Amino acid sequence: MNLIEREVDMQLGSEVILNDDEKLANEILMHWKQKEIEESFRNPQYFNFSKHYFAYKNDIPKSKVYQIIRRMPKGAALHVHSSLMLSADRLLNLTYENHLYMCNNEDGDLQFRFSEIPPKSPCHTGWLLLKDLRNLGDATKFDENLKNYFTIFSGSGQGCDNVNDINTIWRKFEKVSKAISQLIIYRPLTEKFFYEALNEFYKDNIQYIEIRSGLKSLYELNGTVHDKLYMPRLYREVAERFKRDHPDFVGVKLIVTRHRLKTDEEIRKTINLAMQVKRELPSFFAGFDLVGQEDLGRPLSDILPFLTEAKNELKYYFHGGETNWYGTSTDENLFDAVLLGSKRIGHAYGLIKHPSLLIAVKQNDIALEVNVVSNVVLGLVHDVRNHPLATYLALDLPVVLSSDDPGVWGADPLSHDFYITFVGVASKRADLRLLKQLAINSIKYSTLDTKHKETLFRVFYTKWDVFIKQVLTMSTNIYL
Amino acid sequence: MAGKWTVFVGTLIGSVIIVLSENAATEIALRRRQILLQKELDMMPGSGMVLSDSELKANEIIMNMKLKELDFCFMNPQYFNFSKHFFDYNNEVNKSELFKLIQKMPKGAMLHAHDTGMLNADYVLKLTYWDNLYVCFNNNNTNFKFSKNQPNTACETKWQLMKEVRNASENVEKFDNDLKKIFTLVIDNPKDVYSDINTVWSKFQQYFINTDGLFTYKPVWEQYFYDTLKAARQDNIMYIEIRSVLPALYDLHGNVFDSVFTAQSYRDILDKFITDYPDFFGAKLIYAPLRLGNRETIKEHLSIASEIKEKLPKFFAGFDLVGQEDLGKPLKDFLPELIDASDEINYFFHAGETNWFGTNSDENLADAIVLGAKRIGHGYALIKHPVLMEEVKKNNIALEVNVISNKVLKLIEDSRNHPLASFLANGLPVVLSSDDPGLWDAEPLSHDFYVTFVGVASKHADLRLLKKLALNSLYYSSISNKDRIVHEFNIRWTKFIDDIVRGKW
Repeated sequence: MNLIEREVDMQLGSEVILNDDEKLANEILMHWKQKEIEESFRNPQYFNFSKHYFAYKNDIPKSKVYQIIRRMPKGAALHVHSSLMLSADRLLNLTYENHLYMCNNEDGDLQFRFSEIPPKSPCHTGWLLLKDLRNLGDATKFDENLKNYFTIFSGSGQGCDNVNDINTIWRKFEKVSKAISQLIIYRPLTEKFFYEALNEFYKDNIQYIEIRSGLKSLYELNGTVHDKLYMPRLYREVAERFKRDHPDFVGVKLIVTRHRLKTDEEIRKTINLAMQVKRELPSFFAGFDLVGQEDLGRPLSDILPFLTEAKNELKYYFHGGETNWYGTSTDENLFDAVLLGSKRIGHAYGLIKHPSLLIAVKQNDIALEVNVVSNVVLGLVHDVRNHPLATYLALDLPVVLSSDDPGVWGADPLSHDFYITFVGVASKRADLRLLKQLAINSIKYSTLDTKHKETLFRVFYTKWDVFIKQVLTMSTNIYL
Repeated sequence: MAGKWTVFVGTLIGSVIIVLSENAATEIALRRRQILLQKELDMMPGSGMVLSDSELKANEIIMNMKLKELDFCFMNPQYFNFSKHFFDYNNEVNKSELFKLIQKMPKGAMLHAHDTGMLNADYVLKLTYWDNLYVCFNNNNTNFKFSKNQPNTACETKWQLMKEVRNASENVEKFDNDLKKIFTLVIDNPKDVYSDINTVWSKFQQYFINTDGLFTYKPVWEQYFYDTLKAARQDNIMYIEIRSVLPALYDLHGNVFDSVFTAQSYRDILDKFITDYPDFFGAKLIYAPLRLGNRETIKEHLSIASEIKEKLPKFFAGFDLVGQEDLGKPLKDFLPELIDASDEINYFFHAGETNWFGTNSDENLADAIVLGAKRIGHGYALIKHPVLMEEVKKNNIALEVNVISNKVLKLIEDSRNHPLASFLANGLPVVLSSDDPGLWDAEPLSHDFYVTFVGVASKHADLRLLKKLALNSLYYSSISNKDRIVHEFNIRWTKFIDDIVRGKW
């Protein structure tokens, strides 16, 4: 009986059988991984992952392991909020569009509005053309300032490094979300924004995405406001166009969301809208979820009656247990997510404290959408080695990795989360098989039907073989 | 139809039944929810305990205090102390009514404590007022030595009589405050200074090196242990198991004594203490030398352990190895020697006091289990080892969890992320302890109980958890016949409960 071996045989990815090329690639990958870990083990002052993400984000590209992971096909991104997919730099570019007016409201929040003439709605500082404001003084400085409204990345990590409590961080986060939504609900920008977002994900070697998004009323330059079903149609069109332009991209589906602070009536309305989207765009629609800071929002148990009512018609992908507060209503959202038949659970950070739910999740094959970087940035955990994902992997739970809102903290669409998980969270012994299984899981637990899953698997495996070959060519100078 | 569903909760023969109108599906969902939630609560330590009427009343009082603290912090997380560094809130703990109550609570036994880390800097400072103490201020450390004449051991500067140095200083208060800094880890800006685990451990170890000459002076050694027992008793602890490296003691006459003698001196002091305080139940010794050296060294340590066991069979509890696990030798290096001695000597190994998943220090956990450890010190990393967790449960190996120590020594920041929450949820055999509370100004057990109860355990966890943790500490102790101590514990517990109910605590 070797206890350690028994465990290693149990962990996620242990069933993957590597072919000869993969074994070689694995050796290279593990060479770099062990090197990174051993150096940090000896010099923990340089171990990045025990620090705030912002403190080491800019060092990540230097890592050989990261460089390999960046090239790796990752399958699907299953937990991303669409309006927060795009980085601040790209968003800044979008503010160079014509007809963009801007003002500050009394709270100092930015308001955006595209219009041929100055918008009429009252605003604290009065509406001015952004272009004029930019050219008023130092445009570079202006852009730097503007960019800060689109990100919570502070450069050093000091800003969010435990100095701030979780509510303060979330307030900042919600402010950024609001500013971005304001900017992108202008229909032409929605298209550009979404196409670019897909492109960033595509470039990070992601083949398929399930986005979460609220249904917003988009508007035109002349002031025309579209109904709420227009947005999913437009998203689908952009996704289709992107697919045409990139035949090795498999597609996008939509999980319709609503903020969990809304009233029964508002949530019920969105559920009805979601059902309409489902009827109209059955192949684009994936399901329903509630979003916003879980601690301060309404618990699922609060709205159990009508969630139960709709559960036969809608697939659920609930956020559950994105909290540190053990035994609170937020924490117990996990119970409701399981009982409501959620197909996957977003975050499930608190799940580690619920042994019976851990079993239920495994038995019912409910995937956990884990977002490590998000949990660090949004104040749940500091040293990622304390992230419960380590245990989920050890238990071989159905895990998929995602990135939540990578644009807001300037992360890669998936590569940062994969890299940090692989080196910082998983066992030192975890190897290429873990990475491959995580990618496979993302396809397996997507909401695609069998036929499309097969397509996605085909695309993925083709890319995987190319990736392995690439790693092998890296080997020429690896041991130097 | 919105808002028309109604829930009636009624009690029928002790079980809660939920009667619902309108929506059968919701009714079923709520019922299943209740069952699932209950199933988990039933797994928590203490859940099977039946509380007396008085205990129920006391529980209500305690839970009111706990929920008041938690609910406020849930809404105002900026005031939630347990997500911060211990040094940022240790002065505020005293303000908590719940903490004061926990101080009064009989806590049973303290099972994971290092002998020279028990008392705080104020106490150690007083020891420097003893006569015949010489001090040597080196560049990077400070040495002490009791001696009739100027010591002739190495000193970068020169040995000076403590009393004279102090009197020569312009400001004695400032002098003492500066001196105190080497007797503690507590500082104002722990996050800046203790930037990583090795930095804090090196300061931690420096404390033991600095104080060596101070503590190993036989009269100080004995006084320190006497006062440790006193502090434990004061914190409503009945019995302790103390880990010691058993250093060589010395006296003013040039005598140097061996480890067995040191063990003997502890026993003598214990006897004296129990004569002075007959309501204290006792102490046992875990010989715990440093996890350094080679197989030969370990062999020698084990033979010292056997000798002590032979000479002081009732006082000797077992063997352990100490020091920063990451940087020390893993257990597997000494496996043959440790297996050899395992029939004769009980093991209480430190294991998994690390964040490094899949490394040697992490996998010490497997060796501790294989070597038949009676208890495991820390077991912090066990959460990442499902197979080992099963083994721990199956073999009933207690985990000696030291939450505050893990915070101060940089394994964890927010106590809510401490794996203890999961250990409790899984019903693992847990005992709480404090490791080296003197270095961080904590009480022998009260702070760790308080932080665990409010900052780690479920919001639902109540008096039954506290009682169970106290009882566990007796159950998993090395006391051979536990009837007497459990009996006495129950008497004290009943009194504690009555005091709460009468508002007289």
